[in-house]
Amino acid sequence: MIIEVKNLIKTYGGSIPTYALKGVSFGIKAGEFVAIMGRSGCGKSTLLHQLGILDNPTSGDILIEGVNIVSFTGADKTNFRLKKLGYVFQEYALLPELTALESVYLPLMMSGIAKKEYINRAKDVLTEVGLENRFNHLPREMSGGEQQRVAIARALVNKPTILFADEPCANLDSESSETVLKLFQKLNKDLKQTIIMVTHEPEDRKYVDRVIWMKDGMIGAE
Amino acid sequence: MIRDIEIAYFLAFRSIRRGNKGTLAMTILIMILAFINLVFVASIFLGIVHAINVQSINNIFGNIVIEPEKDKTYLEQVSQIENIVKDVPGVVGLSAHYVGNSIISYDANNDGEDVKSGSWVVKSVNIEDEIKTTEIFKSIIDGEYLASLDRDKIVLGKDISGTHGSAFKNSSLEGVEVGDDVTVKFNNGLIRKYQVKGIFSTKSNQVDQMAFLTEKEMESVLGVSNRASEVIVKISETGREQEYIAEFRKAGLLKEDIKSWEELMGLTASVSKSFSMISIILGIIGTIVAGVTIFIVIFVSVVNKKRQIGILKAIGMKESTIVFSFVLQALFYAVAGIGLGLLIMLYIVTPFFISHPLDFPVGWVSLDITRTNLIISTVSLIVASLVGGLIPAWRGASESILEAIWG
Repeated sequence: MIIEVKNLIKTYGGSIPTYALKGVSFGIKAGEFVAIMGRSGCGKSTLLHQLGILDNPTSGDILIEGVNIVSFTGADKTNFRLKKLGYVFQEYALLPELTALESVYLPLMMSGIAKKEYINRAKDVLTEVGLENRFNHLPREMSGGEQQRVAIARALVNKPTILFADEPCANLDSESSETVLKLFQKLNKDLKQTIIMVTHEPEDRKYVDRVIWMKDGMIGAE
Repeated sequence: MIRDIEIAYFLAFRSIRRGNKGTLAMTILIMILAFINLVFVASIFLGIVHAINVQSINNIFGNIVIEPEKDKTYLEQVSQIENIVKDVPGVVGLSAHYVGNSIISYDANNDGEDVKSGSWVVKSVNIEDEIKTTEIFKSIIDGEYLASLDRDKIVLGKDISGTHGSAFKNSSLEGVEVGDDVTVKFNNGLIRKYQVKGIFSTKSNQVDQMAFLTEKEMESVLGVSNRASEVIVKISETGREQEYIAEFRKAGLLKEDIKSWEELMGLTASVSKSFSMISIILGIIGTIVAGVTIFIVIFVSVVNKKRQIGILKAIGMKESTIVFSFVLQALFYAVAGIGLGLLIMLYIVTPFFISHPLDFPVGWVSLDITRTNLIISTVSLIVASLVGGLIPAWRGASESILEAIWG
């Protein structure tokens, strides 16, 4: 298992806590493309945030490649996020002042790679997601689908162990959504990239290997 | 560490270059105004202090004043003293004065009625020496300055004549014009009549309440010669008075009371100090205002970029790198504002005030921009920028990722 989740609990609030995750346990194999699905408010995004170390669980364990990430300190988390994880957010989440190429090579810069290498690798990844003609375009000069593909390229460029996608097609038209999902499928098949995607669109099931259904903060039937 | 700086610079540079140009221009404009405010306020007060000092040196004390030892009325053998002083390299002029309080009266209608009078300082001058030492001869606004052979002529300050916009008209002779006769009663009881040859205005109230006679005339009044109440000395380098005084002592002037102009300024010195204090206080306030302004600018920028900060953190960027990129932006605003503000001050504002000096009671005041003032203003603004940039950026970067991205 590349991810093992054990009895994960997340509560919000003070003296009377609200349970967002009620003891969730599951595992994900390396190279799987998994969708977490469920109704709005069922806890799927909360679960993704815990797995991606964007938030701290109240209790429970999350093991990624055998390492319990729950015990990480701030600096460990930052480093782990940079080296092991990739994120694609619901909105395109690009910096408006960076071109597509700059957005993609930024994580490589942070990894300390030499300039020539990070530019070449960013170009390769952008080409892989079909944006070879958009290297020097700013976000405002690209369509929503193109921006989301830049975000995917940025998430992939550091060759992450796991790619997390939080409703990546929520703001895209159906054509762009299909392009993005097919791209995920291709990355999963060609690169054996582990992908965990939160979505509420039932038709997205056809692109993934497995669906984890969530209901009221618990895992339902898979 | 170097890579973190490189990334921070990368983000800051892109943000400045590709961000909103209107916001950038407005921010830099605010910084320019903050810098000009800091430099201008300090410079105008320094200009006032400078004008007071220049007035004191050029019209009253020279750089150094040699007076008789205690309990003596006059310097004896003044020509010997003058020879000693003249031989010191760097002395550009010296002038011996007899100084005394005298009662000057003016009978406008020559009928013995409604005679105006008052007590003022009357000084004697050796014309050739005086014009090398003071600049009162340049301040004649009506008539002429004294000539070497004048015996029955007097020049009056405008605050004695009570004309030409005198600030003390009620305590003056209330309307003496060039060519009128005035009567002077000296301390020894002697009374002489003089024709007013000129009226001067130096813009120093202290000087404009003096009257001048020639040295020969005063010696005949006092019945003395080769003496003086004071010798004022002008040197080539203001600020090195104590070195010159030491030289005079070494050359043999051991008993005389020798002081620099600063030691003799008295009330004027406290005015100078007050202006310097006001300048410092306004400078501190200006720096705080600049700091708060930068804080607001960066704070607004951080609020607008909160989501981006969250995303940068999510993709693995260190908080310190994010903070440093905002601090670099603040530094850029400060440096750009300081640079442009400096150009405006040096090439527009200062030349304007040199050609259009301000009319202050202490004299014509221009901006006195000193290197120290510029350094203090620059450093203050940079420190204010760093603090103003650091605090909101640090607060923004310290927020949790989810809070930053989704609010």
